[in-house]
Amino acid sequence: MKRLLAVLIMLLMAIGTALPAEAVSESELDQITERWQISVHALNEVNCASCHQESESNAFVANPSYESCQSCHEDPVDTFLLGKHGIRLLEGESPLTPAMARLPMKHDALTKEMNCNTCHDVHSVDTVQAAVDACLTCHNDTHSLTYENSKHAELFLATKELPRPGPTAVTCATCHLPRTGFDQSDGTTLVKVNHNNTYTLKPQDRMVGEVCMNCHGVEYAFNSIFDPELVKANFDRPPALSLETFDMMRAAEKLRSGNPSDEAE
Amino acid sequence: MVANSNRRFDLRKGLSLRVAVILVMVILVTWFSAAFALEQKQIFMPGETSVGHYLFDTSCASCHEGFKPVTNETCNRCHEAELAEDAHGATKFRDPRWATYRDNIDVLTCTACHNEHVHMFGRGVHLQPDLCMVCHEELTVSQLKSHEGFAADGCWTAGCHNFHDHRTISTGFLRQNMGEPAMLPVQQLPDRNVTTTIETAPAPNLKQEFLGGST
Repeated sequence: MKRLLAVLIMLLMAIGTALPAEAVSESELDQITERWQISVHALNEVNCASCHQESESNAFVANPSYESCQSCHEDPVDTFLLGKHGIRLLEGESPLTPAMARLPMKHDALTKEMNCNTCHDVHSVDTVQAAVDACLTCHNDTHSLTYENSKHAELFLATKELPRPGPTAVTCATCHLPRTGFDQSDGTTLVKVNHNNTYTLKPQDRMVGEVCMNCHGVEYAFNSIFDPELVKANFDRPPALSLETFDMMRAAEKLRSGNPSDEAE
Repeated sequence: MVANSNRRFDLRKGLSLRVAVILVMVILVTWFSAAFALEQKQIFMPGETSVGHYLFDTSCASCHEGFKPVTNETCNRCHEAELAEDAHGATKFRDPRWATYRDNIDVLTCTACHNEHVHMFGRGVHLQPDLCMVCHEELTVSQLKSHEGFAADGCWTAGCHNFHDHRTISTGFLRQNMGEPAMLPVQQLPDRNVTTTIETAPAPNLKQEFLGGST
């Protein structure tokens, strides 16, 4: 029934997009231009035509797709296409909509179509909004909704510097679309955002290494992320779990450090 | 007289059977065509698809080429990053020391351990909880005193072991990082460094197009 409804909605939307409703008003265009003028796009000479005009035919493109972004942002788009948000596009299907999700989604977001600009304001290139607010536009599960009770959210609110979250802010994207450093030949590190939102999810120890251990000790991280209730509550309190793995490690260390009276292997 | 009426009865029975068969065929053909036409190909699936794959499960050809078995290449098309560091990878099992273990289970074939469209466990893909025992049974029985009496289905379900990428869960890694405080002395995430090439924005090079006018 739900699927049938989704098909109907998609049909209606297809009819909707076929109508010539693409033009913006003069004042809307002025607002967009204002946001663009102070963006890193403008300051890197990425102008309107860079995205809104086909390079070969010079044909006007009202709504550029992810392929347009991909011509400069190769890694973010490639990884986006491998995660749940983008996989349908990679497989030649219609874009993902929250209506298709098994997780609880916000009712008035059910028909949103996942593309780069669903989360990103592509004109301001401000990723603060993309890091939390964009997620909460659709996601409606307990973990998402309790984020604001966490210390992580406090850190984010404390900085909220524009145009992108700083190195002390912990947003939804920090854990689910983690920044990853790549060593360059000139000795510097290039930090890219891994847009494959499923990469750090399973198994959980991947998130521990990729993300948690930037700030937390290994035991604290494991004891938190392996407690489903704490995950659900979005880490609103310190972990109460004490994984046996660490007790076994301590016992093994004791043996290794030469305490042969304990027990023999 | 009696025989005659019997024959008529059989004829009628034969006719109605034929009609029933044809009717069922028509219904099936309509059902299957409708499934294709309405992009509802899920009805052909033997069971529910996993949390990661169900979003494109009407795209059968993403994983299946006709009725051929799913190959490693198919999985690697998306999962290359997850398998970049594989402790149980090809190098290990092509080594003669470990190659004979492939007789127990063909660990170099994804589908030897992972199944789709069946009941799912916590790793996103189906994986038998006690699969490790196919090779590692001795560990919990006699080899490792610390693991004596451990349940056969606990290796990964308890969160201790990760078959493929164990960089953040291996004993070496834990030993190196054990005893760290809850909050590390330096708490810092990687920062994005975006550079700009000009001081002020150029003039926008499109306008009328956005307002609905032509070039």
